[in-house]
Amino acid sequence: MSNIELSFTLNGKKVEAAVAPVKMLVDLLRETFNLTGTKVGCREGECGACTVLMDGEAYNSCLMPAHKVQGREVTTIEGLQQADGSLDPLQEAFMEAGAVQCGFCTPGMILNAKALLSKNPSPDEEEIRMALSGVLCRCTGYRKIVQAVKNAASESRS
Amino acid sequence: MSEKTDDRKKVKVLTKERTDLLPFVRFKETELAVAGQSLTRTDDPLKVTGKLKFGADYSPENFLHGKILRSPHPHALIRSINTTKAEQLEGVVAVLTARDVPGRNGFGAIIPDQPVICDDKVRFVGDGVALVAAETERIANEALALIEVDYEPLPAVFDPRDAMKEDAPKIHERGNLLSYDKLRKGRVEEGFEQADVIIERTYQVPFLEHVYLEPDVVMAYPRSDGTVLVEGPMQAPFTVRRNVAPVLGLPISKVRCRQIHMGGGFGGKEDSPIDLGCRAALLAQHTGRPVRIVLEREEVTIQTAKRHPMIMEIKIGALKDGTLVSFQGVIYDEQGAYASLGPKIPPAGGSHVHSMVMMPGPYVIPNVKVDAYLCFTNHPYGGAMRGFGAPQVHFAHEQIIDELAEELGISPLEIRRKNAFELGSETATGQVLDQSVGLRETLEACAQTFEWDRRSRETGYIDRDRTRRRGVGIGMGWYRTSIGTGGDACGANVYVHEDGSVLLYTGITEMGQGAFTVLPQICAEELGILVEDVRLVQPDTDLVPESGPTVGSRSTTLMGNAIIIAARQVKQSLVEAASEMLDIPPERVQFRDRKVFDADNQSNSLEFKQVAARCMATGKRLIGQGWWAPPASSLDPETGQGVPYFVYTYSTHMAQVVVDVETGEVDIEHYVAAFDVGKAINPRALEGQIEGGVAMGLGYALMEEVVLKEGVIQNTNLQDYSIPTALDVPDIRPVILEVANELGPYGAKGIGEMPNIPATPAILNAIANACGGRVRSLPADPEKIFWAIREAGGPPER
Amino acid sequence: MSHVFKDLHWSRDISLKEYLVPETLAQALQMLSDYDGRARLIAGGTDVIVDLRRRNYEVEALVDISRIPGMDGIDLEGDRIILGGMVTHAQTAASRLIRDKAELLASACLNVGSPQIRSIATLGGNLVSGQPAADGSIPLLALSARVAIISGKGERVVPLKDFFLDLGKTVVDPTREILSRIEFDSLGPNQGGCTLRLSKRKALGLPIVICAVVVTVDAAKQVIDEAAIALGPVAPIPYRDQGLESVIQGKPATMKTLHQVAEKASAQCTPRDSLLRGSCDYRREMVKVLVRRCLKTALEQAGCTLN
Repeated sequence: MSNIELSFTLNGKKVEAAVAPVKMLVDLLRETFNLTGTKVGCREGECGACTVLMDGEAYNSCLMPAHKVQGREVTTIEGLQQADGSLDPLQEAFMEAGAVQCGFCTPGMILNAKALLSKNPSPDEEEIRMALSGVLCRCTGYRKIVQAVKNAASESRS
Repeated sequence: MSEKTDDRKKVKVLTKERTDLLPFVRFKETELAVAGQSLTRTDDPLKVTGKLKFGADYSPENFLHGKILRSPHPHALIRSINTTKAEQLEGVVAVLTARDVPGRNGFGAIIPDQPVICDDKVRFVGDGVALVAAETERIANEALALIEVDYEPLPAVFDPRDAMKEDAPKIHERGNLLSYDKLRKGRVEEGFEQADVIIERTYQVPFLEHVYLEPDVVMAYPRSDGTVLVEGPMQAPFTVRRNVAPVLGLPISKVRCRQIHMGGGFGGKEDSPIDLGCRAALLAQHTGRPVRIVLEREEVTIQTAKRHPMIMEIKIGALKDGTLVSFQGVIYDEQGAYASLGPKIPPAGGSHVHSMVMMPGPYVIPNVKVDAYLCFTNHPYGGAMRGFGAPQVHFAHEQIIDELAEELGISPLEIRRKNAFELGSETATGQVLDQSVGLRETLEACAQTFEWDRRSRETGYIDRDRTRRRGVGIGMGWYRTSIGTGGDACGANVYVHEDGSVLLYTGITEMGQGAFTVLPQICAEELGILVEDVRLVQPDTDLVPESGPTVGSRSTTLMGNAIIIAARQVKQSLVEAASEMLDIPPERVQFRDRKVFDADNQSNSLEFKQVAARCMATGKRLIGQGWWAPPASSLDPETGQGVPYFVYTYSTHMAQVVVDVETGEVDIEHYVAAFDVGKAINPRALEGQIEGGVAMGLGYALMEEVVLKEGVIQNTNLQDYSIPTALDVPDIRPVILEVANELGPYGAKGIGEMPNIPATPAILNAIANACGGRVRSLPADPEKIFWAIREAGGPPER
Repeated sequence: MSHVFKDLHWSRDISLKEYLVPETLAQALQMLSDYDGRARLIAGGTDVIVDLRRRNYEVEALVDISRIPGMDGIDLEGDRIILGGMVTHAQTAASRLIRDKAELLASACLNVGSPQIRSIATLGGNLVSGQPAADGSIPLLALSARVAIISGKGERVVPLKDFFLDLGKTVVDPTREILSRIEFDSLGPNQGGCTLRLSKRKALGLPIVICAVVVTVDAAKQVIDEAAIALGPVAPIPYRDQGLESVIQGKPATMKTLHQVAEKASAQCTPRDSLLRGSCDYRREMVKVLVRRCLKTALEQAGCTLN
């Protein structure tokens, strides 16, 4: 087994790590960087709880060999909060809409919504549901999550 | 009807005082400051930032990885086990077999019939035959593969009806019939003689997986003082403790269970932490090191409890005008390999008895007979899953009511109007519903919001190609608050500190339902402070009073009452102190918004913390201890007559669907769900329970099923086991009604489980209405709908 | 490790000696060659990682081709559309060119998994996995696509209809070869296409039946000159029903023709009874419905008025 030296940007900071062959990104984040906000629910890209952003696009980190992030910019749920503690409008909107129950899907939901809003600041309901369709939620029935994304979108437009 | 009764029937009526049962409940709606508010959940800031730690986010120092060797056979004798090779593998610290269990080799939520490690035989594919603890996960897994087990396969049984046959392979010494329960009211034969129309149908439901998003995890720590700590996501820490102690040969006082926030439970994390807790604790005791067991998703599906499958035969009779006169039902309830939460805890606990009690539905029927058989098979086992035996029977009774209405030529709405429970109705168990019965109100409110009259006319083909048909359906339901056992009590401690901050100790766990917000709301309401003044202590059996399990939609009501009692104890001190400080008689002291004031002169006031500080300084008691148990349940074992549960939540759902009659695909276009919840302590959180519950009922209706072949699950991952996505669930409209429960905090009763129950039949009835085909076996996937349309001779003409 | 054991005991770790990231195709081929069949190509990874986790096969190294420049383009050369081997489903679905000139492929790509999967999973990988339910393969078959495969011996171009060999097996050996591009002709004004898919849920759904067709009609839009009909997963491999295609050739563009063809397609396919996807009988019925609907949409797109 030969480790590979990786360097990439993680939540705005340049980082380096020596990574074993096929370490999955989710494990790298959770173990090496202690960023446990990225969750493991199925390890097969079905539940979406492990979603992270890479160069602004949402991916399942459970299916991503860590080596793919070389030189890229990775954002996890921990990276959405500003240094001064202020939250992303999506995080605020999720709390206000009651979109969080057990919270296990929440990071994945917020990051998929973040990727959507960065490309499409005024999505309609169908577009929101489509963007969230790769994150399973067993608690909420999705309604308040969809509402939260709508609210965050109109918040950042106004 | 008396005036009193009419009053009670009104929506939003609050209760009068009932001094005999709950002397402290005395309030008017306008007086409430914190309860009834849609406050943001207390744990949200940690959850939206990813800071909240779930079980798998902890890595104990110097811990070992625990793994379970699972049986590949559904039923087999174990001739021998050879662990030598596994033990020799470098990095393996322990390999345990049955002989290594120091105490009782069995666990179970009701009966300890599941071996911690199988000794002489295995009873389902996934039964644990050996345990390994190793330095890494990979080594532990390699060690499993090196354990040699010599099995002698036995004939297996996979159908509860086969299991009851005399020559059936015997799964447990006690026989395959775990429980036979019966309900007898009136005379069903005479009832059927009176009936103008009688129909008979059979309905069937499969095993269901909870699919809580967080896979199970547990950690066990041996402590130098001889105690063992077990941590993990668990709905019932006290039940885990009750099981781990005898397995380790320790008194209960030497086992400590600490709950970690759960990523969903839905009843499933009542059983699984017992299983994993016993096994991890055993490994920890043997190795002297912390042990963590994390299940991969497939292992969760293979190893943990499911919703019980059932075959339900119903015969129902009615008069021409739709009045129900007789109901006869038989339930073949499949328990699977181990008893789990199926069997009866007298008088009315256990899922099987609950199914029996619920089976005739929320309808007045003078003659009822139900025979309910609960049988072992060599399948995975049935446990608790949101609704605890009620979703299955609702699926059946709500459909047969529609089928009967169709036979009678009356509408689904009318037949329910005719027969639904109201205040004073007598249930099939002979219980007179003497308070908080809002079922009919939910029916009318739902019909109004849904616009039933209009939508029920706008059915039939919606496209020129005549491939898509629209239909509407109703599902009605009722669900108990509490669990109907003798020991259904909750304890709470409230500590007020001199700076006005408060610690609240309860054993009720948070799994996403919002208990950690609603319970502090009740505490804050009682003390006249803010929710942020109350810190809820994470449930820990060493710290919090026994509270029973977080199940049965019991937390808000039972624990809410216990908190009120505890808070009022402290309040006595606060009132005494304030009365001195304000120089007013005690009865004029009031609490609100962190202020303590004179009811007759609100400007004469103090800060709450000033009063608390005075109590501290003068040695007044600032610790309150509350304990509340609902009125005793009863259920005669011979007749099934009695009062099994003290209060019920009621609900009506209406769905509008479009069915593609050529493929069987279903779209849900519109959905309204109305509930009588007694009192919504946090309306937005309650809506969340409704919306999520409906989505779960939708999954049961259309796509979910644990597919088994010769005892082996065919869909262990989340690709093959489908749950609804954001594109499958419609925009659900919740309607909340409050017909106060005299025995609940501010009138509240349970809501956690109710929402998913009527959703399934509402959708099935809408499908039948749309396409003319009726699916009597879940899930109603496109294929089943397609064949049902065929069976009906094609879709209706119009 | 026995099949039963691995289905009951799961591990998060995937063991591997090396993860290689070549910068050129030549390097990639050399790396594969060095491992002599014990290394495997990885593109997006959404199939490979799942297969490795499920222990469907074992390899010593993975050769990740995602850093090789020039493989992620979607280009039009004359009437020919060329997709690089690393083009993702999301890229294809969003491409203006594909939406205009091969809409049946764009819509099929949106059926794959979820947004996160589509953003990384490649069409090339979808083909090489050789699954009968691969969403991309069905419309590409209907489009009579060809794929270029490079190996140490050079490049060969294979028509997609000859590409699939058996369940999970194609003419590409992912331990030695690289699928470098996919090409097909854009649809002309006398052509139309459609992909339809049936599943139990609207995202992440396991397909029950997928059908894709491309039709070519005469100038008067009355007669079907040619029809390509592709189906999956109703046999071990996704396939073109060429017997059926010869039947439809030259037939009038009417609903009657469509019904006849749909009946034939249904009679000729051989899906197995699947506990998860549905019975053979049901899937045959669905082939009938989907073939008819696909043809209808495609013919209307080509300008026909059906009656």
